[in-house]
Order: sequence, then structure tokens, then C-alpha cells
Amino acid sequence: MSVRKRVDRLLDKGVGPLFLAPSVLLLVVLLLGPFIYMVVLSFTDLSYALPGRDGNFLGFDNYRRLMRDDPVFWESFRTTLTFVFGVVSTEFVLGFALASLLFHQIQRRRFVLTLLLIPMMLAPVTVGLMWKLMLQGEFGMLTHYLRAAGLLDPQTALLGDHRLVLWIVMLVDVWEWTPFVTLVILAGLLSLPREPFEAAIMDGARPWQVFRDMTVPLLRPILALVALLRGIDAFKEFDKVFILTGGGPGNATELLSIYTWRINFRNWDLGYGATSAFMVYLVVLILCAVFYKAIYWRAGGGQG
Amino acid sequence: MKNENRMTFGRLPRVAAAATVVLGLIASAGPAGAWSLEEASAPYKGTTIRTIGEALPPLEAMDKLKHIFEERTGITVVIEMYEHSEAVNKVMLDLNSKRGRYDFILQPHRELGRFVANGHLTPIEKFMDDPKLRDPGFKPEDVLYQGLWKEISWYEGKPYGFPFTALTMYLWYRDDLLQDPKEQAGFKAKFGYDMQVPATWEQYRDLAEWFTRPDEGFYGTAIQGRRHEALWYEWLNFLYSFDGDMMEASSGSECGPIIVNSPAAVASLDYYKSLIEYSPSDTLNYFWDDVMVAMQQGKVFELIMWNDATYAVEDPSQSTVSGKMGFDIVPQGDGGKVGQVEGWTYLIPEYATNQEAAFLFIQWMMEFDQQLEQHMNGGASARPDVYGHPTVQEITYSKASMDTNAVAIAKPTIPESPEITEILVLELSNALAGKKSSQQALDDAAVSMGKLLGDCAPLKFPVM
Repeated sequence: MSVRKRVDRLLDKGVGPLFLAPSVLLLVVLLLGPFIYMVVLSFTDLSYALPGRDGNFLGFDNYRRLMRDDPVFWESFRTTLTFVFGVVSTEFVLGFALASLLFHQIQRRRFVLTLLLIPMMLAPVTVGLMWKLMLQGEFGMLTHYLRAAGLLDPQTALLGDHRLVLWIVMLVDVWEWTPFVTLVILAGLLSLPREPFEAAIMDGARPWQVFRDMTVPLLRPILALVALLRGIDAFKEFDKVFILTGGGPGNATELLSIYTWRINFRNWDLGYGATSAFMVYLVVLILCAVFYKAIYWRAGGGQG
Repeated sequence: MKNENRMTFGRLPRVAAAATVVLGLIASAGPAGAWSLEEASAPYKGTTIRTIGEALPPLEAMDKLKHIFEERTGITVVIEMYEHSEAVNKVMLDLNSKRGRYDFILQPHRELGRFVANGHLTPIEKFMDDPKLRDPGFKPEDVLYQGLWKEISWYEGKPYGFPFTALTMYLWYRDDLLQDPKEQAGFKAKFGYDMQVPATWEQYRDLAEWFTRPDEGFYGTAIQGRRHEALWYEWLNFLYSFDGDMMEASSGSECGPIIVNSPAAVASLDYYKSLIEYSPSDTLNYFWDDVMVAMQQGKVFELIMWNDATYAVEDPSQSTVSGKMGFDIVPQGDGGKVGQVEGWTYLIPEYATNQEAAFLFIQWMMEFDQQLEQHMNGGASARPDVYGHPTVQEITYSKASMDTNAVAIAKPTIPESPEITEILVLELSNALAGKKSSQQALDDAAVSMGKLLGDCAPLKFPVM
């Protein structure tokens, strides 16, 4: 009997799922297990710092504390939402504009694209350190030119002013991730069929109409994917901001990820830290669900 | 014997050195039954002990010295060096996992309470009471600054180790500029009194104002305003000096009424904040490394800084202001002469597999010769006889260190103290950034501390 027939016979006997076992095992060990552990931990008082807090069951106390009695959490939450919506929308607009420019106007597309992708290829830590130097209050290159142009007060440092610092941090993220959005949207534009566009132009459609009624609807799945990926990524942002500001001054740039790190690895309050981490997860999950629903609802409405 | 060494060095260094060698030889070939490191360590020959600490000159000095111990005992010493927070986090994980990776640890003393309360440490008495391990010549009760030892390495009346470094903060200033007749004349014309080493905070601010010249890239001072524990440590100098404190307690291991929002504390923060005007524009992003670099580059006139960093600013190979510096105790406020001390301490984890060998190494490191060598290479010894040594007295910052050591104030070391630090760092940062007034920030800190500590720490001052 040939090997193929033997395999077919085994599959007929229902051993197929066994081949999935290694992947399932990895998934359980690396993802599901830690996730369940985190959820369980969030109902306990486990602390590595304080005596007597050995993981006793607390019910929903940690959740109550987080919702009702932790203003720093809510401030971090607001900061995170501002950061996520700010960077994702800006990256989206800039990314779309750059992709359109590359698609329609630029001949040496590959060369320009390679240059554009450099920020995205740098490690976030490198990006943080590089921008920290450029924004340094005394010898930072950007600070120097902004002051020379009269746009920045000599006594103000961009990373030291609590009114400016969040916007500066967002700007750095936009610089790093707009190329990614550009790349994906450009790939989407290149994959679109040419015939409907040619037909529309023949029928007298204006560029804006083509963009609004054809390009955007056809790209919708790609756009949804980019927005989702960037949204999740921005929600998890940690390293760049941590290096640039450490969450400060005050808590002006304390994103939820930094706050959660602080509870877990500065205060070693692991039970409460797990609650905060779980809340971050829930928020991301809800945002994803709402966003996805919105995209497909609009798609469905359009078709109908 | 070690004290004799010190005194002899003071008069006739060469004779004393020869005497030390002779005495050492006599001791090592002493009568049967006399304690010797070689004999005490014989059972542990071939073992490897591992430690962890902050990558700074004191630990680097220990790394250079360890080969002597290794040659004498056959015990290998492995030293892991990390940045401050990393060294603390790695120890926390090791202790809680109970793996016993480290045979002894070097940690800031603010961590002491949480280690002891969770049963992570072996009291040092266990080894001190063992005649096979303890060198009868080693008498910490005689040779250490008692206040510092108790502040840095004791908890609830029990010793858990010995000071690795007695870190204090004091005033750094540019003595060359202070002595410049042109500067002196200009200063007197503006402020109406002679320019001098600042003895009060008013004088400190006047000097900061006088030397602030942004057009020349030169500033009167620099504060460590980044949201980092450096901010808290620096502010403590101002808090204590203004006669404030965080809690009313007679020792670091006690809880007590919260007074961090007292009028004195608020005044200290208002004053501290007023120095931003005379600091580089990036001062709210500075921590200890940054202010040290600013001083090394000759961009600042005065600041409050750590003694273990002084070595770097006086080293001509890495500082442009070497030989131009002056050092003194921090200026005085209503609290009189005070010092902010934070020691790193030798501790032996409960789960360490080579505790005895680790103790022998620690004990050896506490000897005068090793302490002197370490101190001369950037350390900060807790032995007064080291400071009495003529070579040490020649160091420009020795007097400032000694004066500060003598007036060091205890800070909380209870298990919650690292979290108290976090609370204060956040609120101090909010105040410096202008998000909150000093009163509001310290009131918020007091409330958060109250929630953390519970009944043992009532608020003494009303929250506005």
C-alpha cells in the first residue's frame, strides 16, 4: 500500500485532529494558559511586596477598586484613547495620501518606498532614543531649529512641557508607523482591477467621485485591517513612550500599558496589576468588535 | 588591628604599610586554632558564589578586588552588574521564585522591609554567631558608623547585613567660579552680600540666579525633575532641610502619622519648584545621570548630587571641571544640618545555596583594606576609619561625605516604602510640571499614602 493511501486511511479513521495537537499545545501553553492565569490572578490579592498577600481570593474587589477608586487608571485610560485615536487617524490620512501619491504620481516607486519604510524597520527602542536626542532641550537638533525659527520658547523643552508632550509623543508614533499604513494601502491600490476605474472615467466620473465611490469601497477590507492592526498596536504602545518620557511629566503620557507595568513591576501588586491588564484586554476586544461591526455594517448597507 | 593600621598610616605611611604586611604574615601563620580566612573557607573551596548590584564604581571596585579573595579561598565570585531599577527587579523576581540564584545581593535599603516581611532574608546574626565563620577581629559595632549601619542594614532592631555603600547627597558647586573676583564683585553689587558657599537656601537660589546665563549655555543649577526615583531622592534633601518629613516615626521600620503635606513640606516643594527657572530647559527630563553630565560638561554652577557620582566629576579623563569643584553639606533651612542617606546593603537571601561562603566574602569586603580600596575607587564606606585615612582626607569630597553621614535622617523602609516612593514621584512630577500646586500634589500624595498604609498612618494635616 502506498504512503498516500495509508495517510488517507488514517485520515478516514479520524486521526486528522491529532496533527493539530502540536499547534494547539503551543497555543494553550503560550497564550491560553497565561491568559487564564491572568484572569484568575485578577481576583486575588497576590503581591510580591506586601506580606500576607499570598493570592487570597478577593472576588470583584480589584475590579471595584479599579472602576471606582483609581483616578490614575482613568486618567491613563483617557490619555491612551487620545493617543490611539490621534495616531491612528493621522497615520490613516497621511498613509492614504502618500499611497495615492505613490500610486498615481511617482515613477520610481520602489526607490521612494524603500526610503519611506526606514522608520518602520527601526526597533521602537531605537526610535525612542533617536527622538529623545533630537528633542533634547539643550542640544537637540529639532529643539535648536524650532528655537531658531522662533517657534519654541528658550525655557521650554518639548518633552518637559505637560501640555505639549503627549502631542510630541504622538508625532513620533506617526513618523514611525505612517510608512506601514502607506505600504498596505499602496498594496491594496495596486491590487484593484483597472477596468471599473477606466469605465467610470469613460462615463465622466470626476476624480473625487472615483475616489469616494470606487476606491474607498473597494479598499474597505484593507482599510479595516490596517486600522485594526494599528489600533491594537497603538493601544499596546510602551517602549517608545517609556524611553521618551517614562510616562511623565506627572502622568501626562502615562498610557495604560505603562500604568499596568508600574503596578506590576514597580509596586509588585500582581493581583491588581492583572485586573488592570485584563481591563486593557477587554477594552481592546470591545473596540475591535465595535470597529469590525461598523465596517461590515456599512459594507452591507452599501451593497443593499 | 585595622584601626591601628589607620593611625599608623596617618603618621608614617611606609612603615605602617610594612607593619601591616608583617602583621598579616604573623596572623596567617598564627597559633593553631586562631581564626583565618583560609581555614574558614576551606569547606567551601571550589564553590561559586553569585551576586548582583548596580553598575557603578563601587561595584566595579569590588569586581577588581575579588580576585584576592578568590586566590586566598578558592571560592569563585561572580558579579552581575545592572542599571539601578534592573538590579532591583531581578532580585525581586529571584527572591519570589525562591530559586536562590544569588548567594548574596546588593540592594538599596528602601527595599529592606518588603524583603524581611516576606521572609526572604537570613539575619546576619546566624553567621556572626558562628565562630567558624566570624573573624573575631571583625567588630561592626565598633568599626561602622552605627547610625548608618542601623539605617541601612537593620530592620525592626535586627541586623540583616552590612552597608555596601553609604550613599548621601550633598552640594556640588564650581569653586573656581566662586573664587573669581569678577564674579564676586558682580554678585555683591546685585545681592548686597559676599559670594560664598551657600549656607542657606536663599543664598543657594541667589547663586543659581546669578549664574544663570542661557545665552552662554550656562545655568545656575539643574534639578532631577524626570518622573523617576531620582526626583524623590533629591526632593528629600529640601524636605528634611525645611524641617519636613514623610511620616512621623522614630525608625525606618515603623509606621506613623503622615506629614508629607505639612506646611514645611509644601514650602520645600514650592522652593524646589522655584529652581526650575535657573535650570536647563530640559531639567524636567533629567535624572541623576543627566545632571552629572551637565556638571561634567561645565554647564551648571551648583546642584545637589550623590557622593558615589563625585568620583566621576573629579576624574579628569571624563570631566571638564575636574579640580574646579567644591563640595559641602546641603544648605540649611529650619531643619538645620541634615543629610539624605540611601545605602546599598549586603544581604543574604534565605534561599541562597552558598550562604556561608557569601558571608565570608562580605566579611572580607568589610575589612579596612578592602573598604579603603573601594572608597578610593568611587565607593562610599560606612567605616569612619576609612574617612580618617590621610589619602581619603585628600579627596575633595571627603569632608562633605563625613558631615552628611553624621546628620543622616532615617527614611521609611517598611514593606510599603517603595510604593510610597512611587506615589511621591508621581505627585512631585505633577507639581514640577505645573499640573498641580505644591499643596494639591502633596495633599494627593498624603491621601494615597493613607490608603496604602491604613490605620497605622493617619493624616496629621487636613487635606485642602
